[in-house]
Amino acid sequence: MSQSAAKAAPASDPTHAPPVVTSRDLVKVYGRADSAVHALDGVTVDFARGAFTAIMGPSGSGKSTLMHCLAGLDTVTSGTVHLGRTEITRLRDKQLTLLRRDRIGFIFQSFNLLPMLTAEQNILLPGRIAKRRHDPARFKRIVEVVGLGDRLGHLPSALSGGQQQRVAVARALLGDPEVVYADEPTGNLDSRSGAEVLGFLRDSARDLGQTVIMVTHDPVAAAYADRVVFLRDGRLVDEVHQPTAETVLDRLVKLES
Amino acid sequence: MLRTTLAGLRMHKGRLVTTALAIALGVMFVSGTLVFSDTLRESFSSQVMGSAERMDAVVLPAQGSEDPVSGDVLDEVRELPEIDRAAGVTMGDAPLLDKDGRAVGSVPTAGVSVGEPTRFSADEGELPDRPGEAALATSTAEATGYEVGDSATVLGPDEQKHEFTVTGLIDFGTEPSLAYRGAVAFTSPVAAEMTGAEGYSEIDALAAEGVSAQQAADAVSAVAGDGTEVLTGQELGDRLAEQAGAQADALATGLLLFALVSVVVAAIVISNTFAILVAQRQREMALLRCVGAVRRQVFTAVVTEALVVGLLASALGVLAGVGLGYAGFAVGAEAFDADAGSADVVVKAQTVLIGLAVGTVTTLIAAVLPARRATLVPPLAALRTSATATALDTRVGILRMATGTVLLLASAGVVALARQTDDPETGLYLVVGAGFVAFAGVIVLSPLLVRAAVAAVSPLMRALGVSTALAADNARRNPRRAATAMIALTVGATLITGYSVVNASMMATTTDMLDRQFPMDYQVRAQFAEEGPGVPPEVARDLRESPEVAEVVAQRSATAETGDGFVRYTTFRGVPPEEAAGGGTDAGDLADVGPGRVAVVSDVAGERGVGDTLALTTGEGERDYEIAALVEGAQSSWSVLMDPEDFSSAFPEVRGDEMLMVSGAESAGDEELRDAVYAAVEDRPTLQVDSMAQMRRQYEDVLNTAFLAVVAMLGLAVVIAVFGIANTLALSVLERTRESAMLRAMGLKRAQLRVMLMWEAVLMCLVGALVGIGLGVFFGWAASAAVLDDLLFRVPTAQIAAFLAAAVAAGLLASVLPSRRAARTSITAAMASE
Ligand SMILES: Nc1ncnc2c1ncn2[C@@H]1O[C@H](COP(=O)(O)OP(=O)(O)O)[C@@H](O)[C@H]1O
Ligand SMILES: [Mg+2]
Repeated sequence: MSQSAAKAAPASDPTHAPPVVTSRDLVKVYGRADSAVHALDGVTVDFARGAFTAIMGPSGSGKSTLMHCLAGLDTVTSGTVHLGRTEITRLRDKQLTLLRRDRIGFIFQSFNLLPMLTAEQNILLPGRIAKRRHDPARFKRIVEVVGLGDRLGHLPSALSGGQQQRVAVARALLGDPEVVYADEPTGNLDSRSGAEVLGFLRDSARDLGQTVIMVTHDPVAAAYADRVVFLRDGRLVDEVHQPTAETVLDRLVKLES
Repeated sequence: MLRTTLAGLRMHKGRLVTTALAIALGVMFVSGTLVFSDTLRESFSSQVMGSAERMDAVVLPAQGSEDPVSGDVLDEVRELPEIDRAAGVTMGDAPLLDKDGRAVGSVPTAGVSVGEPTRFSADEGELPDRPGEAALATSTAEATGYEVGDSATVLGPDEQKHEFTVTGLIDFGTEPSLAYRGAVAFTSPVAAEMTGAEGYSEIDALAAEGVSAQQAADAVSAVAGDGTEVLTGQELGDRLAEQAGAQADALATGLLLFALVSVVVAAIVISNTFAILVAQRQREMALLRCVGAVRRQVFTAVVTEALVVGLLASALGVLAGVGLGYAGFAVGAEAFDADAGSADVVVKAQTVLIGLAVGTVTTLIAAVLPARRATLVPPLAALRTSATATALDTRVGILRMATGTVLLLASAGVVALARQTDDPETGLYLVVGAGFVAFAGVIVLSPLLVRAAVAAVSPLMRALGVSTALAADNARRNPRRAATAMIALTVGATLITGYSVVNASMMATTTDMLDRQFPMDYQVRAQFAEEGPGVPPEVARDLRESPEVAEVVAQRSATAETGDGFVRYTTFRGVPPEEAAGGGTDAGDLADVGPGRVAVVSDVAGERGVGDTLALTTGEGERDYEIAALVEGAQSSWSVLMDPEDFSSAFPEVRGDEMLMVSGAESAGDEELRDAVYAAVEDRPTLQVDSMAQMRRQYEDVLNTAFLAVVAMLGLAVVIAVFGIANTLALSVLERTRESAMLRAMGLKRAQLRVMLMWEAVLMCLVGALVGIGLGVFFGWAASAAVLDDLLFRVPTAQIAAFLAAAVAAGLLASVLPSRRAARTSITAAMASE
């Protein structure tokens, strides 16, 4: 851990809460023998409860792979991942499916919504899959926060890109998951819509105590987070607490050189 | 990226495989039919040629002449120096008795002579060469169970019994006149004696040493005289081969009709596949346009792909067709009196060309519309972001709705018109025309139908769970695609249901007609012999005396020619006319038929009504009768029903009964009644006794066999349609890879994903089948009502339920591969792909 970042962190910093997601010596190798790619090369990292963490790094550094392994979307070559007390690296496909269903929320870069379902139906979909009753008060509050009130009955094709992503955020938050993973959630948005979506993610971490882990390569997006971790060549190389766009850019430039 | 490309290629191969299969199956049916009929024709012709070419000259009665060739001609032919040997063929009735001592068949077996020379040879054993010997046609031996060495009884001209030893079996093949009735062959003198026939039906001659067939025929021609026709053996063979070929042609035409249905369905499937492929490759096409490809190049690219796929698949189809045709011949040759071993499989160049052309042209035509659509993709489409969800195709289309409705109404109008038409044939054509119009309407309306059907089941499917709910939503997202896939199935469903309704209604109507007639258990008839004496009156008398018999109705008929055609007079003796004739009347009462009063069909009555006097031409000149009842023409086998006494005086020459209807006494068991009836006809072996129960069973068997055959033929169209549905589903799965990955990431289990796709397929199949069943029931009714006036409309619910179950099973099958692929795809790989 970076000394300067630790010093700068105030006592109320959520990144000091106990970790929800932890990985130890995570290794992911694609291909085999001569053509093997070490996408992750021994990543040990903790993600604190209620914190909004950004994973950054140059293209091909293993950000997406790390997220997939943390979220139980992909198997690891070695090492462990825990979600709470569950060691998810030991789970079989079926159990992983149930774990994702019940304890994790997702926001993807694109193709987030089912085109034939209305915004509301999309938001309620994970609950339907899990046969979970949703809390109407929470639904109302989240919909209000993301500002979708009057657009709930619309099909995704009638929504702007920013609105679609807000629907995706609302969907991820509704089930009160232990952690929400977002993979480049603003990658396809204009900067204003992107700012809105990032604002909601930050607010949900602050106000709802929602743990959020976001992959991004945009320093501005990363600046919304409480903490940024940096990857290079599949290794954790640096981190910043309470980042600003400048500090993040600064580190990135150093990394690339 | 490479991974994606490779995955795409593998997918690409997969999606072409199903399309190719659809084409190949259609082509297989077409070329299989051609190979089968060509082989059959070849086998027929090699058979008849083989027998005809043995002769050098043949004398036949002139075409159209009823008179045989006279015996004098044979004598003169034998005298000719150009002729080595000649023999006449005697042909007449020679009723063969079966092992129970009853005459075989409703027509007496033919007695035919095999002299020296003869065109025929024994397939098994030897030809008869002395009195007391006979050979049987193979078909006759099969029907009776006689074998070489057995002793068989044949009736002579006065019905006296003659015993013969069976020396051999002759395969007469498709020889006209012998194929149907069966035959017994004797030496020439015995044949003349047994049949009592004068003259010859044919004279066969062999040329003398060094004389050509043509010279021999010319010489014979000079002496044969008027009323005859002389052919060389070769010419006779050609003529017989042509006649036999006509049979094969008719069969081929029928089969090709079914093949056409398969090809049309394949075309629908192919068209849908290309439409989907083009839609999915929009960006690819747009990119092509961006880098400078002109519209025509895009069009050509799609059409070329269709050409390659069409050609390859057709080649495969032709190969499979050759196999199918050969297998069909090997299995079916027997049924057509062809010799399975006699011919090699015949594959004409023309068959291969037709097969290739049908498949390729169909594919090209099916691809033209999608290819045109591809050219309409604007270059800008390439730049469109893929992040925003694509809009759903949910336009209702007022024009579509209006066109479809107009077409359906027009079809209903034509059916109504057909109901008004008296002529069954015109009515049937109108109904078929209306069927095509209705189908066009359904095609136009199909996207709306799909949407409406899915909307109807949506609440239920939503209640069932998330997988079914998603399936219902998916089925609605691209109604036009789903509709085309469905229409392919609708074609088969309509035809199968329609035929099953016709079949069931016909069966019910006939059964009802039989039920309304006199409730007979047995029927006794004379073997059909022209102007025969009928059933002697003593048989009815004997039967009435038998305690096992309750009642005997003796039917007598006579035909008289009037100014405008033939009038058939009938009378029933034994029970009152209303009991014997059964059925209803248009006016009056059958019970009022009595001396001087007759029942007539409306055609004969003309303008006259009940109570009016009608002059009728009888065997004894014109006589006046009062009309007691009027009957609808189509439902009765007679035109005038008379009192027995009136009949006797009007037609005194008619002494025998045409038919006896026998009903058993309550107290008599089945066996006892049977024995009693046979005892009454024991001395008259040519009388045909039929049990009604058996006749009904045979009738139902025939209809059921025909039904199964038709369903099997149409089954291929259904199979092709199911390929289409599987293909549509597979392509949607491909398109929705990322969506499926997202669902899986959110915790949808593999099994749930599979269930979702399964229901999508089942839904498509069910809608297609139900629309087809609706159309089939309606047009089945319309068609049979056009043919039969007082039709008993029946919907064969069991058959339709079975078909629906098959449709559901087909849907499940169609979803197997696509859903396996969807469930197997790794989430992260799908996310990474574009
Ligand atoms: N399925 C895969 N098969 C082979 N190599 C892969 C696969 N996925 C990712 N990689 C490789 O692993 C490395 C990390 O990829 P990724 O996690 O996508 O990086 P990032 O998201 O940071 O751009 C890259 O070198 C990439 O080429
Ligand atoms: Mg990435």
